[in-house]
Amino acid sequence: MLVLVFSACRNDKKSVQHKKIAVIVSTLNNPWFVFLAQTAAAQAESMGYDAKIFDSQNNTALESDNFDNAIASGYNAILFNPTDANGSVSNVLKAKKAGVPVFCMDREVNSVNAATSQILSDSYSGCVDLAKCFVQALHKKGTYVEILGLVADNNTWNRSKGFHSLVDYYPGLKMVAQQSADFDRNKAMEVMESILQAHPDIDAVFCGNDAMASGAYQALAAAGKANHVKVFGFDGSADVIEAIKDKKITATCMQFPKVMAQTAAQYADEYFKGKRDFPKKIQVAAELVTYNNIDDYIAFGKKN
Amino acid sequence: MAKKLLKYIVILVICLFVAYNSVYFKKLSDVNATGNTFNAAAYSQNYLENDLLKSLNHIPSTDTILTFIKANPNDAFNKYSHALDIGNIKYFMTKGSGTVIAIDESDIYLKTTGNQNIKIATEYVFGNALRDAPGTININDFTNTADLNNISAEVDKMVRDSILPPFKKQVKKGDQIEYAGAFELNQQHLNTDSLEIIPFYLKIKK
Repeated sequence: MLVLVFSACRNDKKSVQHKKIAVIVSTLNNPWFVFLAQTAAAQAESMGYDAKIFDSQNNTALESDNFDNAIASGYNAILFNPTDANGSVSNVLKAKKAGVPVFCMDREVNSVNAATSQILSDSYSGCVDLAKCFVQALHKKGTYVEILGLVADNNTWNRSKGFHSLVDYYPGLKMVAQQSADFDRNKAMEVMESILQAHPDIDAVFCGNDAMASGAYQALAAAGKANHVKVFGFDGSADVIEAIKDKKITATCMQFPKVMAQTAAQYADEYFKGKRDFPKKIQVAAELVTYNNIDDYIAFGKKN
Repeated sequence: MAKKLLKYIVILVICLFVAYNSVYFKKLSDVNATGNTFNAAAYSQNYLENDLLKSLNHIPSTDTILTFIKANPNDAFNKYSHALDIGNIKYFMTKGSGTVIAIDESDIYLKTTGNQNIKIATEYVFGNALRDAPGTININDFTNTADLNNISAEVDKMVRDSILPPFKKQVKKGDQIEYAGAFELNQQHLNTDSLEIIPFYLKIKK
């Protein structure tokens, strides 16, 4: 009897060890996504699985190759951060057809039936809170610029819509430019420099993520305008948390990549153990971070 | 010569026609909005009338919720709050009555019959409180989260456009009012001192 029990335990451990989880992430050119991918991989490894990170470099074609490689290499589940809400659906369906469950993290794909589950950040609500802070900080009047993320990503629009759902009710606040910088710090700096040529007297910048907020702040500092122009980001990255402490950036919204990554890995583990009734989508609340509550937060999360 | 000129004019017209139809400018947000078939306005109208206003009799009072939260926060959150999101932000449906003690451009300050100090939002009526607090909407019924977010935007807009203006015109300090709405609390960093209710029902008692 003991031999049988021992043998069953050994087999169970062996099967866990042989399962492999692929972490396919939109880009590793942004610390936030590096943290998301590494946390997901670490969580998978802590549960006894082999894990490998694939970088799609914000390119759906490369993402497709990553899916092909993961499927061909026998990965048993994919923890996925998509590059394109529509363009990534076919990749998820490809994995589904191959019997590989996909758990989306942070960004969604526009299909309720493709992914096994999608664990997303509630960008819209976070940006509504951010917008209220924006209106109050500017005393309801002034000119501002919006720097958008990837145009094909739903988070870009959820953040923009959340922000505008409130700010657009204030006629004293005028958006003088709206441009995409693909969630990229360097591009945001270039975009900001170019916008400042045409609109040197802006009062604020709303950026779709913290990397772009840092880039925009850099451009403003170089132009000698950082003290006047209020910068708002979204993510809760280390740079911006420090910048809020130093009163360089006015506010951001804290996402919780650790919660999303760990939940995705946990779901994969439960899937391997037979669970199938996952919620198709769950959202993780984002929280407003300003100088007033900065002591409650650390980079990528909340102090315990 | 005239023939040559005519030829150039025709070529120019064709070039202008092609150029005019080849280049156009649209807001990025408008481009993204195309192809969406969900009617958020109709859904939200029905939600306001049937899920919110018809539930008035079953909503717990603010005094009851706050007393419970102070005595046993975890049980109070489990019993009364809802959220579509996982995390620390939770929403409560609530109703009550009280006396208006102050009014500013953003809020009406109220002392409830149970002696609690609360605010009724009259300016910043935005966000997901009214959508999430009843716990009747399922995120998985929607193809993408943009549809879900549009429900919040539409319900809030209806409150701002239809419910608040007649109330704000009449209300004054000292009035006795009835209200129903929803409020948000952070479960990990609990602070009930500046509770702000997003209303969907407001009535000045005669």
